[in-house]
Amino acid sequence: MISDRIKSNLRQEFRRNLLPKLGLAILVVVVLMALFAPVLATHNPNTTGHFDDGNSYPPIGTSYDSYEVVDGEREPYSVEYSTDHYLGTNNVGQDVFSRLLYGARTSLLVGILGTGLAVVMGVPFGLVSGYYGGRVDDAMMRVADVMLAFPSLVLALALIGVFGSMSIPVPDPIVTAGFAEGMPSATILPGTITVVVGLVTWVWFARVARGEAMAIRNEEYVKAARSLGASNATILLKHVLPNSLTPVIVLATIQVAAIILLESSLSYLGFSGTTLSWGYEIQQGQDYLRTAWWVSTVPGIGIVLSVISINLLGDWLRDSLDPNIEGEGGGA
Amino acid sequence: MAFGKFLLKRTLQGILVVWGVVTVLFGLRAVTPGDPVNLIVDPAVDQATRERIRQELGLDQPIYVQYADYLQDLLVGDLGYSYQASRPVSTMVIERVPATLELAIAATIVALVIAIPLGVISGTRRNEPADYGATSFSLLGISTPNFWLGIMLILLLAVQLDVFPTGRRPVAFHDALWTFLTTFYVGDLLTWLHHIILPAVTLGTYFTALITRLTRSGMLDEYGKPYVTATEAKGIPETLVRYKHVLRNTMIPIITVLGLQLGTLIGGAVVTETVFSWPGLGLRLISAIHNLDWPLIQGIIIFIGVSYVIINIGVDAIYAKLNPRVLDE
Repeated sequence: MISDRIKSNLRQEFRRNLLPKLGLAILVVVVLMALFAPVLATHNPNTTGHFDDGNSYPPIGTSYDSYEVVDGEREPYSVEYSTDHYLGTNNVGQDVFSRLLYGARTSLLVGILGTGLAVVMGVPFGLVSGYYGGRVDDAMMRVADVMLAFPSLVLALALIGVFGSMSIPVPDPIVTAGFAEGMPSATILPGTITVVVGLVTWVWFARVARGEAMAIRNEEYVKAARSLGASNATILLKHVLPNSLTPVIVLATIQVAAIILLESSLSYLGFSGTTLSWGYEIQQGQDYLRTAWWVSTVPGIGIVLSVISINLLGDWLRDSLDPNIEGEGGGA
Repeated sequence: MAFGKFLLKRTLQGILVVWGVVTVLFGLRAVTPGDPVNLIVDPAVDQATRERIRQELGLDQPIYVQYADYLQDLLVGDLGYSYQASRPVSTMVIERVPATLELAIAATIVALVIAIPLGVISGTRRNEPADYGATSFSLLGISTPNFWLGIMLILLLAVQLDVFPTGRRPVAFHDALWTFLTTFYVGDLLTWLHHIILPAVTLGTYFTALITRLTRSGMLDEYGKPYVTATEAKGIPETLVRYKHVLRNTMIPIITVLGLQLGTLIGGAVVTETVFSWPGLGLRLISAIHNLDWPLIQGIIIFIGVSYVIINIGVDAIYAKLNPRVLDE
């Protein structure tokens, strides 16, 4: 599976370069934000109405100009920040910092579960296709071609049209155990989006697994196992699968980042399934750019930092393990 | 294998894929819960009218008959009628194509014009400040969601500095060009340019970043090859080697990846159009999905799928021309 040579490669590359360290540091912060959101949040992220006389609070250290109409005249005045709301409040008076923390949960949950689903679907498909080759492979690869003919975002949109927006409340252990008073007792997992991102990205895993299986099936040890009477299923599980894991791991890392981007795009387009999502928040803030610049800006920084950190770690894995893979990026 | 045969094989594969796309979409529509009649008329409408509409749409037929009818209509370019707008879907798709095409081409131009020089600089000055700058830029570019980038550009350049409009497309490129050619009035073209710059940069940034990365790593790979040393040893000027030989060989993998990334470009266009209210196919697709207007959803996605397949065959053909070895594989 993972040999000592690979391990020492990984360690060496990590020690030599600054970038994987930076990526790991950022990712740890994001993961901690997501895990301990109920404890770290200063307000319930869903509570509205944190206003200063009807105005959203700006982030700490900033202020902005507003006006009121007195006797038909515009009377300008300055809206100051509140130390209660580190990153200000949004257009309905929700605490932006608390929503940033909870948004990290949604992004990571969808990213990890969606990637997991894609691996579970794509890897067996690719292994079988590549191992058997011939007609089986031809037929299976035509199915993969059909999947690849849809841009993943577009296919995701079509599937959301079919499934509708389904959300699954997952009880929050920290709140249930009584460590965080007044926080939401469940995290909303956007079920449809999680399934859909898996359904539109599995084909990349299938391609990578297929390539590996094709290379491995002609190895001497596989031929030896076959001549000793091992069944195809045994060979696939005991030899082909473990030896094709390296590129799958690299792709999975990059794919978590791509799925976080995909989730945020879908949420931005209005198919979120939960309002505690960075993409949704950015969309909400777009109408208030003239007055409240921070509402759209803050969650975007959250996305960029999470994705950069994962990409940095992905680059490190790729450089150390050096598999030859390709995948669809997550620019959308 | 001869080039013609290769092209024929790819085309046949393409047709198979298009049939798959069409079938998947038919299947998705068939399994979507809810009665489509409700999307066309008020749910309170009487049973007789509902039955009549059902018959008109062919929904009273068994599923395989519906499928056969659907394929038959598609073959003659009939994509049906939109539930919401009661207009032919084919018209609703075609009228939105120019806007999306303008955006996609403008974004690709932005990407190529910035990325290739940047990648060359980065690749030839490895570990110098210029290389670090370009590498950081490309990491940031592939990690930034384009809708957020678009909103930040609007915030900075449209709302704060007021140098660009926040969105919309007041004039189509072909109309502006026609005005210019017939009356020599350049104003419409400038208006168009003024409006497309932010969306094009928004959509193009990811590709700029990606191509910069590819150009850089491609140049580095090529520099290590013996032919470069040989040409240099022959005394051929370095600039000539760099651009004529190294860059040209670097273009081969770039073209492949661009073909693969076309889906990202189309997906990105959907999002970018939403950010800038750019009246293309993407904006229409989003509203069709919100309305569950299945004939329109299908029409747009089939169009995208078919274009994607055709462009990919084109990319493969260019690739085969540049690198004839693939013909033998």
